[in-house]
Amino acid sequence: MIQFTVNDKAYSVDVAEDTPILWILREHLNLTGTKFGCGAAQCGACTVLLGNEAIRSCSTPISEANGKHITTIETTKDKEVKALQYAWVAEDVAQCGYCQPGQIMNAASLLKKNPHPNEAQIIDAMRGNICRCGTYNRIKSAIAIVAKG
Amino acid sequence: MELTRRDFLKHSSFVASAFLVSFIVPQKARAQMVDNSVPEPNAFIQITKKNEITFFLPQAEMGQGAYTVLAMCIADELDAKWEDVFFEPAPVKELFNIPGMPMMLTGGSNSVKTRHLQMRQIGASIRAMLKIAAAKYWKISADLIQTKNAILTNTKTKESLPYGFFTDVIKLMKAPEKVTLKENSELTLIGKPTKRHPKEAWAKVMGHTQFGIDVRLPHMKYAALIQPRVFGATLKSFDATVALKKPGILKVKQLANHKIAIIAEKWWQAKEAINDVVVEWNERDFAKISSKDLAKEYESYLDKECLPMRKDGNVEEAFANAHKVVKATFKFPFLAHAAMEPLNCTVHHQKDSAFMSMGGQFQTLYRNKCAEIYQLPPEKVQYYNNYLGSSFGRRGTPSADFVIDSIYAAQNEAWPVMTLWSREDDIKMGSYRPMYRNSAEMAIDKEGNILGFKAKVIGQSMTKGTIFESFMFKEGIDATHKEGLTDHQYKVGSHDIQGFCPDSPIPLLWLRSVGHTQTGPLVEGIIDQAAVAANMDPIDFRIKNLQNPRFVELLKSVAKQSNWYKREKNSGYGVAVVESFGSIVAYVAKVKVENSDYKVEKIWAAVDCGLAINPLNVENQIISAVNFSIGITKYSEITIKNGEAEQSNFYDYTVSTIADTPEIHVEIINSGEKIGGMGEPGVPPLFPAVANALFDATGKRYTSYPIRLS
Ligand code: FES
Ligand code: FES
Repeated sequence: MIQFTVNDKAYSVDVAEDTPILWILREHLNLTGTKFGCGAAQCGACTVLLGNEAIRSCSTPISEANGKHITTIETTKDKEVKALQYAWVAEDVAQCGYCQPGQIMNAASLLKKNPHPNEAQIIDAMRGNICRCGTYNRIKSAIAIVAKG
Repeated sequence: MELTRRDFLKHSSFVASAFLVSFIVPQKARAQMVDNSVPEPNAFIQITKKNEITFFLPQAEMGQGAYTVLAMCIADELDAKWEDVFFEPAPVKELFNIPGMPMMLTGGSNSVKTRHLQMRQIGASIRAMLKIAAAKYWKISADLIQTKNAILTNTKTKESLPYGFFTDVIKLMKAPEKVTLKENSELTLIGKPTKRHPKEAWAKVMGHTQFGIDVRLPHMKYAALIQPRVFGATLKSFDATVALKKPGILKVKQLANHKIAIIAEKWWQAKEAINDVVVEWNERDFAKISSKDLAKEYESYLDKECLPMRKDGNVEEAFANAHKVVKATFKFPFLAHAAMEPLNCTVHHQKDSAFMSMGGQFQTLYRNKCAEIYQLPPEKVQYYNNYLGSSFGRRGTPSADFVIDSIYAAQNEAWPVMTLWSREDDIKMGSYRPMYRNSAEMAIDKEGNILGFKAKVIGQSMTKGTIFESFMFKEGIDATHKEGLTDHQYKVGSHDIQGFCPDSPIPLLWLRSVGHTQTGPLVEGIIDQAAVAANMDPIDFRIKNLQNPRFVELLKSVAKQSNWYKREKNSGYGVAVVESFGSIVAYVAKVKVENSDYKVEKIWAAVDCGLAINPLNVENQIISAVNFSIGITKYSEITIKNGEAEQSNFYDYTVSTIADTPEIHVEIINSGEKIGGMGEPGVPPLFPAVANALFDATGKRYTSYPIRLS
């Protein structure tokens, strides 16, 4: 039995220990906001927070979440995620939208560590999150808005 | 009102007056509005008593903004309250077909191009019907009724009623024979920069949007596939004994298309069991195919007489008398679409019917495939189109490859089954943008006139053997070999343009902007060489030789934006202008070369799509196209060895990231010409603009993609 919380709700699952967090979220808890993009820690679509740390949930086994807290895009409380969602809409970022939950969760983790990143720091933190629609310019400006406060 | 073309050449959101006409609602749409036999009293617009308004949109939303722009057209004419409208994908029905086409389809940047008038007519019709209903109710003339924010107001008594009050009345009402669309001055949305509809935008940032991969149905199961990695290979035998003992595995079955489906309670379980199935393939000679050998074969045709694509004037004389001749050969690799959402489709095969739910560009074709395989009448297959996690053509496949997998996997099963390709399936299983080997030669005189143009395009056809063959593959030549090449816009004295389509078992498919991905860099590359040979500025040379004033207007715009004529010599500036899908896009690119690497630092864009219904979305599509195309320019390439793709995921199939993003400046010029598409036209000029900028910076011509400096 592995026990953890997701967005403040407690869960326990009885699954193979090496099942990636991504598939627990999507297929067991029906939290489909976290996306499957590559399954190989290459695209960032599956990014969630484990504690305050952004992780690639497709490549992190659920056993690592035991006793810990996971935050996903479906959170209604996380301060950084909320601020980013407003900025995302204001900046008209999302095109297909598929990569955006991962982008936002990754940006949230950046802001938790560094609330006022400059452009170079934003690029450096976000370069692992692929957006095939190429919304990068808008992602940059949306994060910059929140970073400026 | 008589306006000259010049008057239209105003920037940003000016709305051309080409719309000030009275339009007749198409017979079918009109019939539908009073046809009570459909579940929705009105096919495109549903209004509830509570005044909730839902639009049923017949085009796929894959990131390009089709929902928002089409909804703007309806909402503006309907006088709905923009923030409050809902969208639903239209079901597959004839009345939702593209006007003049026998199917529903999203491709060729067609959504707004083919539908904007229809959407406006529909909104205007319903508004007219609501006014007639209210006029009867208030016993006044309809002219005395005003509409705004989905509310009707009696201007005499100031009494107001919501649209929903009359919903039952208009269901039974005949649609008016004629509707008059709004005057430009009355438009509230069309022509104005408008963000994604807030409902769509918020759902996307909160993780609530339902993509195909998010479909969840009661009792549904998931299938992972085992596909032959060698193109053309067939299944010899397999043993699933071990896999079947694994937790969650329900079934391992052979599909009629030489693939194996592992069906499990969870997709992860199915995927994990792949290695436990022992499979033997018949690979035959297919395992000998390599892109190296194919390239050699293609290149050999460049020295031979190929099939004619355009021949006029006296080319031999032109080249014999030329002041200068420039030449180039081009190499374009196979490309995978690598759409962000892995390919998937959910199917439930019921007794006398079926249900399918996915994100697809070819709704009708996929529905019909399912009906054909299950031997059902097409109307017994219900199709639901979810949001698409990008596509770039991949979910608009005439072969319907991943859809057929899903139809077979769910065939005769008791549960709904989602079949989901892994990223490795996506990168390795093809439906690639074809590989090409092209050549070009241009002859110019002393004054910089173009006397002759020779070119060859060698690449496998992407339409041969598909339902598009009859009108896209003629006399041995694929239409996508020619687009943007044989119909280029330069004044040229003579042509000899040839092509050839060698076959191979590698499955191919259009990728965003299709043939223009190879003809754009060819034409704008050789033109740039000709400009240098003529000792002329690349923009001046183009303006001198272009016969289309719309192109000239765009070139002047990017020249001005980029301060082109004041740029430092050899500081990495390049230009290109390409028309595709009814719209013209010009870029000036500025690159920075450092060591053996380069970065695209800035893009200045000028766009003429006739009329920008949503200028902000036009800008977003340019941003999208630039970043997408930088990946193709710098990194992306599929190579084939021993019959299979050598790449398998984003670690070896590289695409652009935020670190590659240039600053992008977009100017829109509304010429007032016919409205063109915007999903694709930003792609083709990016490649040559960057290549030409690299020439400016390094003095070397780069014509082999992806472009690596060393
Ligand atoms: S799905 Fe996890 S990084 Fe791509
Ligand atoms: S918005 Fe489509 S992949 Fe990022």
